[in-house]
Amino acid sequence: MSFCPGCGASLEDPASFVQEFWSGADRNFLGWCAACGLLSTVVLPAAIVSHEPEH
Amino acid sequence: MLSAEKNRRLTQVGPGTPMGELLRRYWWPVATHDMAGRVPVKRRLLGEDLVLYRDGTGTVGLLAEQCPHRRAALWLGCTEDVGLRCGYHGWRFDESGQCLEQPGEPAGSTFAERIRATAYPVQELGGLIFAYLGPAPAPELPRYDLFVWEDAWRDIGHAELPCNFVQIMENSVDPYHVEWLHGRYGSFLRELDGGTALPVVTKKHIKVAFEVFEHGILKRRVLEGHTEEDEDWKVGHPLVFPHMLRVGAAGLATFQIRVPIDDENTWHVWYQTYRPEGGAPPQPEIPVYEVPLKDDRGEWLRDYVDGQDIVAWITQGRISDRSKEHLGRSDMGVIMLRKLYAEQMDRVAQGLDPLCTYREPHDVIDLPMEKDKFGSAVEFRQLWTRESSIRYSPIKDEIFELFGDPVPAWAS
Repeated sequence: MSFCPGCGASLEDPASFVQEFWSGADRNFLGWCAACGLLSTVVLPAAIVSHEPEH
Repeated sequence: MLSAEKNRRLTQVGPGTPMGELLRRYWWPVATHDMAGRVPVKRRLLGEDLVLYRDGTGTVGLLAEQCPHRRAALWLGCTEDVGLRCGYHGWRFDESGQCLEQPGEPAGSTFAERIRATAYPVQELGGLIFAYLGPAPAPELPRYDLFVWEDAWRDIGHAELPCNFVQIMENSVDPYHVEWLHGRYGSFLRELDGGTALPVVTKKHIKVAFEVFEHGILKRRVLEGHTEEDEDWKVGHPLVFPHMLRVGAAGLATFQIRVPIDDENTWHVWYQTYRPEGGAPPQPEIPVYEVPLKDDRGEWLRDYVDGQDIVAWITQGRISDRSKEHLGRSDMGVIMLRKLYAEQMDRVAQGLDPLCTYREPHDVIDLPMEKDKFGSAVEFRQLWTRESSIRYSPIKDEIFELFGDPVPAWAS
């Protein structure tokens, strides 16, 4: 997770915070952007399960 | 995993580092009341070497270790009626660092007026001596309830632990460790020794929650057989930002205070208050005791709750290498704390006051804490007065009498 999903600032800025954690097989990154203050989570899922909505 | 760079930012406490600048916005216990006497003593706080003394007027001073004259250590000194005199050439300084006397200089010299030792403000409260190493104006010293209650007994245990303070603080937002480190591992050791499992701490966690609030992070839990109507969830207890845990039950309320000596060492203070219903009788003096870390064979003590915590903290290494860790869903409290430190470092960098800065005079700051802890208040108190560092307190037996609790079956 290199960039803020909100403002696009680099989260490699030392003041920003990025922490990896795992939820089952899903790799998660919690990010806090020092530029805009956004707290976000990016998930790299092991598999994406979705469905088509009713027509 | 946390990047090595962000781990350094989280753990470096010296002057000029982001965490060091954040921590310098707070008052820190630098000594217990008995350490400040006529014989100056060396102390180290936030990576700075200091000398603490109490002069003949009772004034407590805290100066940088090195004399500004020829750099000898000021603990090689003698306290006078006013101030501390360097043992090397007799220069004398007051608590503001002002040089008052230079015996070897010519009569009439004004040289002393232009010499100052580095000095930091100190205040005494609740048996501790607090120091402020940050920029002026210093905030108010927070008068947390445990430090100011007039109807409580107190005792203070302390030890120097060979690890960074953050890994100790993380333990305070890690509820699950209780049922494993103390419940399972602690009971395992007791069983090997022919004893029985400990009560209370073996209860399984069903749900935990954390929320940032005005005093730090409030921690809540639901244990097996309990509900959200129990105090462990409805009230909880706090990590007091940036350096304390408040924990206890039923008239026993304690702070665990984590004081960074430097990046790799922490002065841990176990600050207890004992306040039975109706209050405790007056206490003439607050006892202070050292908490041992090793047994006679040089093995780390881990046959009690605080010993188990200590070994879990220090075996992570002097500074835990968080680039090699694997956090999961049960580590949300740890992640929240790290993020809170990052956020507050940024506030300081912007010139703002961080969380828990008090600028207005106040009488007392009341903190939340469940009284009916783990749904068994007295049982928890019985456990904690025997299985925490209180077991080394010189007034342990008087504490048992103060509460009048029967000896629990597991301890007999």
